[in-house]
Amino acid sequence: MITAEKLKILTEGAKYDVSCASSGSARKNVPGGIGNGSAAGCCHSFTPDGRCVSLLKILLSNDCLYACKYCPNRCDRDVPRATATPDEICELTVNLYKRNYIEGLFLSSAVFVSPDHTMEQLLLTVKKLRTEYKFHGYVHVKGIPRADLALAREAASYADRMSYNIELPSEHSLKLLAPQKSRESLLVPIRTLAADKVRFRAERHPGLFLPAGQTTQLIVGASPEADGRILRLSQALYRKTGLKRVYYSAYVPVIRDPLLPDTGTAQLREHRLYQADWLLRYYGFSAEELLPEDGNLSESLDPKCDWALRNIALFPVEVNRAPLELLLRVPGIGARSAYKITEARRFTSLTFSDLKKMRVVLKRARHFITCGGKFYGERRLHAVRGLLAAGERAANCEQLSLFSGETALSALTGEL
Amino acid sequence: MIYFFDGSEEGFLSAFPVAFRDEAATVTSRNAQMTLGQTCTFVPTDHVRAERARQRLLSFDGKCMSDLNFLLRSGDAAAENAAFRYFRLLARKKSPVRRMLADGDVIAATECIRRVTYEVHRMHGFLRFMESASGALYAPVSPDHDIVDLLVPHFRARLSKIPFVIHDVGRKKAAVCDGTHTFCVPLEKADVVLSADEAGWQALWKQYYADVDIPERRRIRQMRGYLPVRYWKFLPEKQGD
Repeated sequence: MITAEKLKILTEGAKYDVSCASSGSARKNVPGGIGNGSAAGCCHSFTPDGRCVSLLKILLSNDCLYACKYCPNRCDRDVPRATATPDEICELTVNLYKRNYIEGLFLSSAVFVSPDHTMEQLLLTVKKLRTEYKFHGYVHVKGIPRADLALAREAASYADRMSYNIELPSEHSLKLLAPQKSRESLLVPIRTLAADKVRFRAERHPGLFLPAGQTTQLIVGASPEADGRILRLSQALYRKTGLKRVYYSAYVPVIRDPLLPDTGTAQLREHRLYQADWLLRYYGFSAEELLPEDGNLSESLDPKCDWALRNIALFPVEVNRAPLELLLRVPGIGARSAYKITEARRFTSLTFSDLKKMRVVLKRARHFITCGGKFYGERRLHAVRGLLAAGERAANCEQLSLFSGETALSALTGEL
Repeated sequence: MIYFFDGSEEGFLSAFPVAFRDEAATVTSRNAQMTLGQTCTFVPTDHVRAERARQRLLSFDGKCMSDLNFLLRSGDAAAENAAFRYFRLLARKKSPVRRMLADGDVIAATECIRRVTYEVHRMHGFLRFMESASGALYAPVSPDHDIVDLLVPHFRARLSKIPFVIHDVGRKKAAVCDGTHTFCVPLEKADVVLSADEAGWQALWKQYYADVDIPERRRIRQMRGYLPVRYWKFLPEKQGD
């Protein structure tokens, strides 16, 4: 059994990686084996920071050679170091899985000894887990930049998902903050594995090759790139490499460095990026429609409202006739509501009260739709903007009190 | 009139044809508040009538019995009457009605079904096994809806040969899988002798849960929304909170 101290060190090192999804793989169990994949994914618990615990998120080692400025495990920091053996990780995974605490393993690692050695150890762990421990649950393996591609390819034949973290949206920032990584060392493996997967499918090999595809992560706010730049990068990755997801992580200042901002990035910016990312993947938007390359997403309005107000000439749309693609572009109407509307209108002409009854959220949508020709929203554009922004504000702020949260602390210490 | 039945699927299908033509009918197997001048009757289960009703309804919609199955599992007091109104609409329309998503009766029934299937999904995540000394797994749960037997296929596929018991503590019943067969049994209380390692793994898990949290970001409301407090009772990581 792995010791408690080791588990603590290796968990602390892995927790800032935001990738947690366990969806996309329907791997089957075999007789005598343990575990399977559930295509829709499954959350097993939620931590007080509101994030879900789906996979056992752990590092194989935090003993890093590299000195990425933003990273709590960088080599020149004086923190406790630990390295687990592949067997310790496998045993922990199987035992937690059996008790239904987790949906699978998320295995990452700091670069120890050399990139090749690290990737070898990751490969050894996942191979052991699949063959010796007969584990067929979800496994997500981090790719190590600059490791031999053959190792990554072999790991891909055991894992459900692999990811190389691009971390910073431009080559310049990468050079500044993560000098040992380069854009090519991250993008080449992503492209290679994507091409391998296409070939694997085309040649109809038995077995599975990364059934849940690849993902990546970008740190937002550690470097000066605008949202427009970030979203264009995500869009290019989705289109060219078939990436399943890009995760955005608002920068948390774990360590101080003159090259890094001293304060964390607002959670709101991360939230807006995710909203825009969903618009790219599920709502048929393109990054060019949402914002210019050097622009940032609006803080007061969500990206869809912002787009709709800029393109108000397209609205209002008639819910009883509008095609699905257009319904999806109405602020406040999501995939589920759009489905409900298209189904329900086969049987009856929908009125405003029908939509209410169907629990379509109308707070924003009413300014952009008509029901049977009737309009229930606000006609003056500036008033609409105010109403939409006001709704957002109410959700995002709280009444300050002398004794609440951080204020109380700063009142005690006198520090601002 | 209020039509009482015994809560079973057969009972519902026996009461359904009796109540069908009554515009003000309420169909239930639980306590019901009578309005002024309202009367009530108990409809005993009649297998012949139930079978006839079943065949008739299936001829309108081949998948409707699965809807009924979910509706009768609901712990919601209004679910049985929602089922009655849904099936009355089906019988009147004589064709599937589940896509009439603007109809009040269909909305009420689909909401009930959604709550049941959503809890099944949640339980796939929130159920916690403990290992007994014999190696069998035991999980106590207290779900809102009567769903323990629906949980078995999911865990059986994952655990293959490991025997396990899912115990609905509130309804005093258990779904058992011995590795080859699965069945439901009434079970008042279970005395489980835990394996030697169980406490150790639980402690590691609790520690992992504490460590993976980012304390700079407190979002307690969000956590409670995703993981309602009523499910905390059997989660090791939430004990001592």
